[in-house]
Formats: sequence, C-alpha cells, structure tokens
Amino acid sequence: MSDNYAVIGKNVPRIDGREKATGAAKYTGDLKFPNMLFGKILSSPYAHAKILSIDTSEAEKLPGVKAVITHKDVPTLKYGISPARWDENIFCSDKVRFVGDKVAAVACVDEETCYKALKLIKVEYEVLPAVLDPLHAMDEGAPQIHDEYPRNINTEIHQNFGDVDKALAEAYYVRTDYFVGQRTYQSPIEPHSAVSIWKDNKLTIYSSTQSPHYFQHYIAREFGLKMGDVRIIKTYVGGGFGGKLEPTGLEFAGAVLSKLTGRPVRTFYDRHEMFAHNRGRHREYMEMTTGVDKEGKILGVYANFVMDGGAYTSLGIASAYYAGALLTLTYEFENYKWDLHRVYTNLPACGAQRGHGAPQPKYAFESHLDNIAKDLGIDPLEIRIRNARRPDTVTANDFIINSCELKACLEKAGEISGWREKKGNMTKGRGIGIATGSFVSGAGYPIYRTDLPQAAAMIKVHEDGSAATLYTGATDIGQGSDTILCQMAAEGMGYRYENMKIIAADTETTPHDFGAYASRQTLMSGTAVKRAGEEIKKQILDMASTMMNLPPDDLECREGIIFSISRPKAESITFEEAARRFFVLRGPLIGKGVYVVPRLGGTYKGAAVGTSPAYSYCAQIAEVQIDEETGEIDVREIWDVHDCGKVINPMLLHGQVHGALYMGMGESIWEQVVFNDEGKILNPNLGGYMLPTALDMPEIHSELVESYEPAGPWGAKEVGEGATNPTMGCFSNAIFDAMGVRVNSLPLTYEKVWRALKEKREGKA
Amino acid sequence: MSQVITDKQGISHYMITINVNGDDYTRVVKANTILVNVLRDELDLTGTKKGCELGDCGSCTILLEGKPVDSCMVLAIEADGKKITTIEGIAESAELDKVQESFINHGAIQCGYCTPGMILSAKALLTRNPHPNEHEVREAIAGNLCRCTGYVNIVKAVLKAAEEPNDKEVKSNE
Amino acid sequence: MFLPDFDYYAPDSLAETCEALDRFGSKAKVLAGGTDIIAKMKGGLVAPEILISLKKLVDLQKIEYVAGKGVVIGAQATHNDLVNSPILNDKYLSVSEAAHHMASNQIRNIGTVGGNLCNAVPSADLPPILIALGATIKLVGTKGERTMLLEDLFTGPMKTVIAQNEILTEIVIPDQASTGSTYIKFGLRRSGALAVVGIGVAVTVNGETITEVKITIGAAAPTPMRAREAEDFLRGKVISDELIAEAGVIAAKESKPISDIRGSAEYRRDLVRVFTKRALHKAIKEGHV
Repeated sequence: MSDNYAVIGKNVPRIDGREKATGAAKYTGDLKFPNMLFGKILSSPYAHAKILSIDTSEAEKLPGVKAVITHKDVPTLKYGISPARWDENIFCSDKVRFVGDKVAAVACVDEETCYKALKLIKVEYEVLPAVLDPLHAMDEGAPQIHDEYPRNINTEIHQNFGDVDKALAEAYYVRTDYFVGQRTYQSPIEPHSAVSIWKDNKLTIYSSTQSPHYFQHYIAREFGLKMGDVRIIKTYVGGGFGGKLEPTGLEFAGAVLSKLTGRPVRTFYDRHEMFAHNRGRHREYMEMTTGVDKEGKILGVYANFVMDGGAYTSLGIASAYYAGALLTLTYEFENYKWDLHRVYTNLPACGAQRGHGAPQPKYAFESHLDNIAKDLGIDPLEIRIRNARRPDTVTANDFIINSCELKACLEKAGEISGWREKKGNMTKGRGIGIATGSFVSGAGYPIYRTDLPQAAAMIKVHEDGSAATLYTGATDIGQGSDTILCQMAAEGMGYRYENMKIIAADTETTPHDFGAYASRQTLMSGTAVKRAGEEIKKQILDMASTMMNLPPDDLECREGIIFSISRPKAESITFEEAARRFFVLRGPLIGKGVYVVPRLGGTYKGAAVGTSPAYSYCAQIAEVQIDEETGEIDVREIWDVHDCGKVINPMLLHGQVHGALYMGMGESIWEQVVFNDEGKILNPNLGGYMLPTALDMPEIHSELVESYEPAGPWGAKEVGEGATNPTMGCFSNAIFDAMGVRVNSLPLTYEKVWRALKEKREGKA
Repeated sequence: MSQVITDKQGISHYMITINVNGDDYTRVVKANTILVNVLRDELDLTGTKKGCELGDCGSCTILLEGKPVDSCMVLAIEADGKKITTIEGIAESAELDKVQESFINHGAIQCGYCTPGMILSAKALLTRNPHPNEHEVREAIAGNLCRCTGYVNIVKAVLKAAEEPNDKEVKSNE
Repeated sequence: MFLPDFDYYAPDSLAETCEALDRFGSKAKVLAGGTDIIAKMKGGLVAPEILISLKKLVDLQKIEYVAGKGVVIGAQATHNDLVNSPILNDKYLSVSEAAHHMASNQIRNIGTVGGNLCNAVPSADLPPILIALGATIKLVGTKGERTMLLEDLFTGPMKTVIAQNEILTEIVIPDQASTGSTYIKFGLRRSGALAVVGIGVAVTVNGETITEVKITIGAAAPTPMRAREAEDFLRGKVISDELIAEAGVIAAKESKPISDIRGSAEYRRDLVRVFTKRALHKAIKEGHV
C-alpha cells in the first residue's frame, strides 16, 4: 500500500489548541447557565455503618438552600457500569460501605451555602466492623458488605488452556514469585463536574465524561426515561484515564436536584472527594509460576490473583479479566492457567485506570521473567527476544494477533539504549532494565451486551464545499481524537484538514460511539470516520465525473483537487466546485460510516474479554542510578519503542507515549493511596499523593517501528494505554540490575530499596 | 479598601479594586472570598482553573504583580490594589503570544487543563530569564502539575519559545 | 472547598498590629502569606474569627545587612525574596538554597519566612540552616520586644513560645566566623515535597581542624533539633572521613524520628546519619552553599 498520504501521518496542529492556549476552552465547571444552582453530595465518614436516621430539617431551613435529597427522593434501582453487577445506589438507604459513600445532596444558590448546608444534615450511624484487608475479605465470619455476594467475592475467574501441570513438570526450570501492587488513582487535573438541566420530560446533562453514550444509557435506565429524552454533552474534558467513564453521584443527584428545583444545577467534587469516589487501579496480589526450557523459552505459566475491588464493582470485572487474560499477548506459550478473586472491601471502589487491570500483572511477570533470566544466566533482552510473539499468531486464550512487531521493538530498543554495551558494564549503583508491553485497540465487545455498532460517523459538506463538518460520538478527553478523526475524515474524502470542523460527543447531535476507553477510538471510531469520508469521496467523484466528462474510476481527489488518474496534468476541478454542484442538483452532501467489530474470541467462559481487532506492542528500557545509602532512585533515561501501526499524527502519538509512560513512572515510584485503620484516605490531595513534577522526569526517547495493521484504518492501532503497561516492570528490573535487589511491591519507593539493600547487606535477602 | 456593609448575619463585606489584564474592577467581597473565585465567577475569566484548591497543582496560577502565584490560596481582599494577569491577558491582541504559539506548535497541550497555569509560569520565567536552560524551565513549571504530557513537549515548547524573538512584553511589573 | 466566615483587619503599622492582637486575643490569628493558614482553614483545622493581615507592614519585607549585627531578614520576606536576595546569595548562599527547597515557585512567591517559622512544622526547610548559623529572632508585642535564639522558638510540632499578642518581626543571622554551611533536604520528589529528613550544618574550619560546628536536624524530631552530641564529638578534632562518618552515626542516635506516611522512623534515622555526613563534607569543602 502506498504511504503517500496527504493528511494522515502529518503533524497537523491540534484542532482545539488555540482554544486551550488562550483559556477560551470551557470545561464543565466553567459553564454558567441563567438561574443556575450549585449542588454537593454528603458522604459517609465511616467505612461500614448502618444508617439509622437522616434529619435534613436544619439544612432545609438554611437561607439559600433550595433542595435537600436522600434515598427517599431518588430512584432506588441499583446501577453500575458493569451489567453483571448492579450493586450501587444513588444514595445509600440501609448502610454505607466506604468512607465517601453517598448519603444525601443539596442544591443551593452558591457553593459556600452548599458546604454549610451539608454540615447541617444530621445522620445517625451504627458503626459496623469493616473489611479493610482484601486478603481477609473472603474469610469465614468476615463482615458481609453486599448480601448478594457471599464471602465478599465480587468476581471469580478460572481459566485453563493447554496443560500447565505437564508443562511445569517437564520444564528445565520452574520458579514462583509473589508480588503486590498498590491502589493508585487516575487523578486527572480537572475535577469531576456536571451541569444537569431537567425540564419537563427532557434531561440534559453537561458532564466531564469519557463516554456520553454510556452516561446516556445508564442515566436513562436509572430514571426510566427514553434514551432520546436524555441528552449528554461533553464540552472539554481535563483528562479521564478511565475514571470518568461511568456516571457518578454528580449526574444522578444533580439530575434529581434539577428536577425538583426546576433550575440548572452544577454538581462537582473537590479533590479529596475525587479520591474518595475513586474508580482507580485495583491493588493486586499476584503469584506467578513459570516453567521454562534450558534456553529460557516459556513452556507454561500459572498465575493467581486477588484484587481489592473496594465497595462496588464499577469497571472492576473488565479489569479483573484483563489482569489475567492479557498476559498472553507479549510472549508465546500454549499452556496457561490462571485464577482470580476480586473481592469487596469497605474502601473506595476500584474500576479501570489507564492500562485497565494489566499494568500490575505485567510488573509482576516482567520482574518474574528477569528473575528467571538471572537464575539461568540469560540476558534479559535476549530472553524476551526468544519468547516474543510473532505476527499472525493466536494466543493460548484465543486472541487473534495480526500485526505484531515486538521483536523489532526489542531490537530497536536495545540498539538506541546501548543495552548490549551497557549491561553488566555500568558504574556502581547504575542499572538498566527492560520490559515489554501490549494493549488492546478497543475491547472486542462493549461494556453491556448490545448489538449496536461500535462507532458511527457522519460528515456533512458545506453547501459551497468550503468546509466539512465531522459528526462523531468519539470523545476527546485530551488525547487528541478530535484532531486525528478530522485528519482521517479529510484523508478519506480527499479534502484538507484545515477546512474541517467537528461536532463531537453530544448524544443529541452526534451519531453513536462508545467513547474513550480501552484505547478504541483510533481504530474503531477512526474506521467509521474513514468510511464516512470515503462515501463522500465517492459521491464527489461521481458528481465530478459528470462535470469533467470522465469515468468516475479515472478520477481521484487529493487535498481538495479532483484530477484524472490517467492524465493527472490535464484540467482539474476543485472539491468546492463539485460539492456546490452536488448540493444544487442533489441536495445535502452527507457521508456515513459505521464500524462493527468482527466476531472475536473463543468459546470458553469470559472469552470475550481481552479480545480486540488489534493489539499494540512496545518495548521499554530504563536506566537508573540508585543512591546506595538512601535508596533514592534517579531515573536517568527512558527509551520506548512502539509498534502502533500506521501513525496518524506523530506529535500526538508521541504525546500519548510520553503521558502513558509518565503515569507508569508515577505509579512505579511515587503514587499510592494510603488509608488509616478506619478506611479513611490519609493523602486525598496532590501534596500527599505525589504525581511526578517536571523536575522528576528524565529524558524520554519515544521511537517507532514500521508496522501495518490490516484491521485498522490505514493500518493504525492504539497507543494511549500501551506505554503504561511495561513501565513498572521496567523500573523494577532496572533497580534489580543496579543493586541486585528485587522490590516485590509497588510503588518501588526509596525506602523499600533502602530496606532491600539493608537486608542484603545483613544477609537476610 | 474599606468596609462597605455588614449583612444580616453580621458578616462584613469589603469593597476592593483589582487590576486584571490592564483593567480596573471594583467589586464587593467577603473576607473569605478567594481570588480564583472572583476571577472565575465575578469576572467570568474562566481560563484560570481550579484543580485542587490547596496550592498543590498550579492550575489556578496567575501573575500577581508579575509573579506566578496560586490564586486559590490568595484572599481577594489581599489582592486589593494589585495587578493581576490571567491567561486571557497574555496576548495583547488577537495574535497569540509566542509562548502560546509554541505550546500549540510543539504538542505541549493535551487535555489543556494545566495549560493556562503552565503558560503563565513559563511567561513569567521568560520575562525574568529570556534564555533559560532546561533545568531552569523545569524548575519554573515544577509547581504546575500535568497529568497528560509527562512535561516532555511542554519543556520543549518553552525552550523553543525562548529562541523566538520577543514581540511584546506582558503588561505587568516584574 | 470553602473558608469559614471571619473578620479581617489590615493594620497600618506594627504597633497597631500588636495592639489588635492584644485586643482580639485568641479570636484572632495572623495572616502573613497565607499559604499555611488558608490551607488549614480549608481543611477545617482552624477557624479564627478574625484574621489580622500583615500586608501593610512593608518594612518587614526587607533583607539587609546591618553592620555589627548581621543579615537582618524581615519576617514578611517571601521565600523567593530569600532565594533572590543579593545579600544572602553573597554571604549565605546556603540560606537562599534552603529557601529554594520549599514547596513550589508559586508558593514561594507568597509564603513568608515569618509565617513559615511560626507555623513550626518539624519538616520546615529554613529552620535547620538558620539555627545552624546561630540565627536569632525578634518577637514584638504591646509590652515590648524580646529576642531569642531561633532554636528556642519551637516547643513541639506546630507549637512555639510566641504569645497570643506577639508577632515575629525579624530573623538575624549574626556576623560569625563560620567558614561553611549548607542545608540538605531529602524529599520524596524534587518539588512540592516535605522533607523526610533535612540537615542544616555550619562549620568553622581552621586548617584541618573543626573549631566550631552546629548541626540541626529537621523532620526527625518534634522540633528542629541540634545534634549536640555529634557537635561535641566533632569540636576541636582533625577532619577525616571516619570522623565525619562517626558524627553522622551519633547524630542519628540523637534524633527522635517518628514513622508517618513519608517514611518510617528507622529509615529517617539512617537518613540523618547519611545526610549529616554529606552536609558536613559539603560545608567543609565548599563554603556557604
């Protein structure tokens, strides 16, 4: 296929860059409506308690308070983003299940009155014993968090492929390792916010959302409304990373407050309330056992997981499946068995955070593989090359891999980092580590069971052809989907990016799309957009053929110029001329496109989760300098080599790698949500929960290998989450190389390194 | 600044005048009114963002007498009589300031929420130190948290902007 | 987030400030830069009825050298005023550098040295270096003024000897014979991080001998504390790597760290050992840095 594209592959500037650079971009919390009220939610101070009574009378009397609501005023239908587990209520009625659980809400004339009103609501609790340790959640006699889920087991998974016992028995070497992850939180810089306007039968909600569709679907369901009477609009979103994929109390309570008051209501979370709402990464306890042959080739793997799910399911089931299922992507082995329990605890609910359940298992496996390599005297880069997946293979759990340039990624990473020269030859305290990663380009199946296509797009060309508007439900949350989809629309049409306009993520005006999660939009929304563009091009060329007296299949359109393929130097006409003529003779020039995922996956239980039309691949290498006396980790340099198929916009793509790697780095060394022994978060702020600052980031080299993905538009696949996948393992391995100590739990703090070094010196390791 | 009235609850309201982006605004505030809220809610200058309200994230950064500060930590009444520059005041006309241009051209913007504060910190740096090295750039923006970019392209954009000729100075003292 | 309601008063002079503090008593708290008190008020930890703002006391912003006295730092000087002060850069770069470690650029532009000292968190970055340099402070009230060593200001975490009707007006770094000083902070990230351990050191070196030394440990005791045993051990001795290392061991033993979200007591104690050693080497070799 020709790589001579007019629009895609170019570093066009972001379509929303100017809005954002001037402060003109309005995020949900910036929106003002006439007569608007402000709303806030009262939350539980206890991790587990019965609600004995709620007295709102004092709050109602406070001047400026327009409504106070509790469970009596809202639908009691249980909801949840995972259809298999509807376990959450708008407000708790019988008991609260974590510190931060929703109890009541107020609508007031200003923000200050909201805080004062919340203080006046009197709730009587009877404190119950709480489950705070996920490793004891399933014990006999542990407090039950949800009646419907005995032993607090939210999700139980057992998958078995091939014959692992036989593989381990016949292996040259078998090793078992145990690792623990930590709770982290997406912490987008923009807090959650929503403005609800419920007038007559129509509910409109502006929300900081990653998926207007899922919001619309679940909100309509909760209130018994027709989807057509619920309008969800996304303005600008200041990051989501998985935490803004499901409707929260802000939308549900805000909607009811608006209905009762007859006024728009803006609801919002403060930073500490965001931490309590959470839906971040699960803490995973991971046991890995692998058998290899003499060359280090993996013969069989057994993995056992316990995940701390918190008080509700959220997106936790998908994360649970991804935890085990995606381990087969990077290395080829036929024998794989894994067991997993996701348990309820009286802590904030965990959901899906960039990487969707896979990063911590990858940290575990990559560390584990390095341990094996060390035991066998095999170089870590070499052992990965030997095991690297090849293109056009099928995993043990029936995931079909088309393009896969992992070997090339490994080779290139090794080359640009100087791995072979450096390994074993570095100065004291310096180390180099490697890990691989892979991720889905969209989930093969949507979150709830439906036959709706994954994505649909429409393009309308302006009457005189001087602009074209792309209508897409795809959701730009900062990753740049608006920009690349406009590039794809222009490419598909043979038009110019500069003339593109976009209307996106408004359920009333834009066609269906599942939104931004599981890195689906480039491939899925992109394919729909490409098809819409091609449909426009077909109509334009058809019109042009009558104007130029040439057969349509001799015509091509590129950057807005329509010319003859056989005689390109002959007279040409413009897209504008053809478009205008089209409108005059035939009416609106519209193109539509739809993307449906081909049927994917095996037939075993849970086979659907982890399927994808395409998978990205990458290799990451990090060089660190450890201060032997303090354990301080100085990350000197990082190299990331990615296979993400055809690159639509190099600058945006590398931006995604930088950002995903940054988040992976944060989770590797600094980020951890810490609780006291009553289930209260000790660091629900950005001083105590440490995100890396500009001074903490090293030099990052982001490079690519040539790749073409047949299932993707023009060969493209994902990049948004793949780079988070290997990072924690990469650092764990770099530290291991530098100091010969393995830190078995995340985050890899300076103190843990210090302690590991101390134990090594004292001979305890 | 003088006390204006005491309301029914016995709370005092004060009249203040702040100069924002070159224009004087006289408003009545309470002692507990925070500057970022005056800018966003009273003056409709929503370019300044609230990310944490505790001075940890820098998304509320404004220039107060030319110096970057977290406006979520400043009482409006403490800013009485002072000169404030917000993101809306960076560009003197419809043309963008060179730092804004550089951010757009070098991929320094993803979700954009940290961008106003980041640009103001960068602008203040370049006014004080027109040719910073990389470490100085990172230092200047260390109080602005970004969750999207890993700061890679932001640092690049500021260094590139420093190479561009200076068009106009920001209307403020340093 | 929101602040509870309060009354506000911005006196025109130091005398008026003291008089107001006297009059309002425990109902009032001082507002300097505000970065500490506003955070505490937003967190519901304090709810003063009145804030008395020092914003008009511009005389207290000065940093100047007074012959025969030393470097006088006004309590209203911001941390960035200290960072950028030509006098401090010249005479005690170590103090400028210590101020530079605090929080972020934005906070340093409004957070004052007086407010920081009076807030008295054990992990504050300025006390260790100032104490090591023998700094004194002046407290002024309606009944007069008193001076004391900075190290005598602190009585416990967030606790000082300042009376309700006094304010801290200046810090003086006295003229001295010290040949070198430095502050090393160990934080968990490179900006916006409280010290896990912070060591301030000032030495007077004569030839190969340490004739005088002060070591202050921050963030590893209820208040910034002098490591007096380590100091006594070093005084009058000939410099060697072993000597310095041993001083670190002694300082670590003297320290009284606790375990918290940033680090365990055991870790902190060892960090005291390491950074006392490193700070001493640096101050000995490089001067006031």
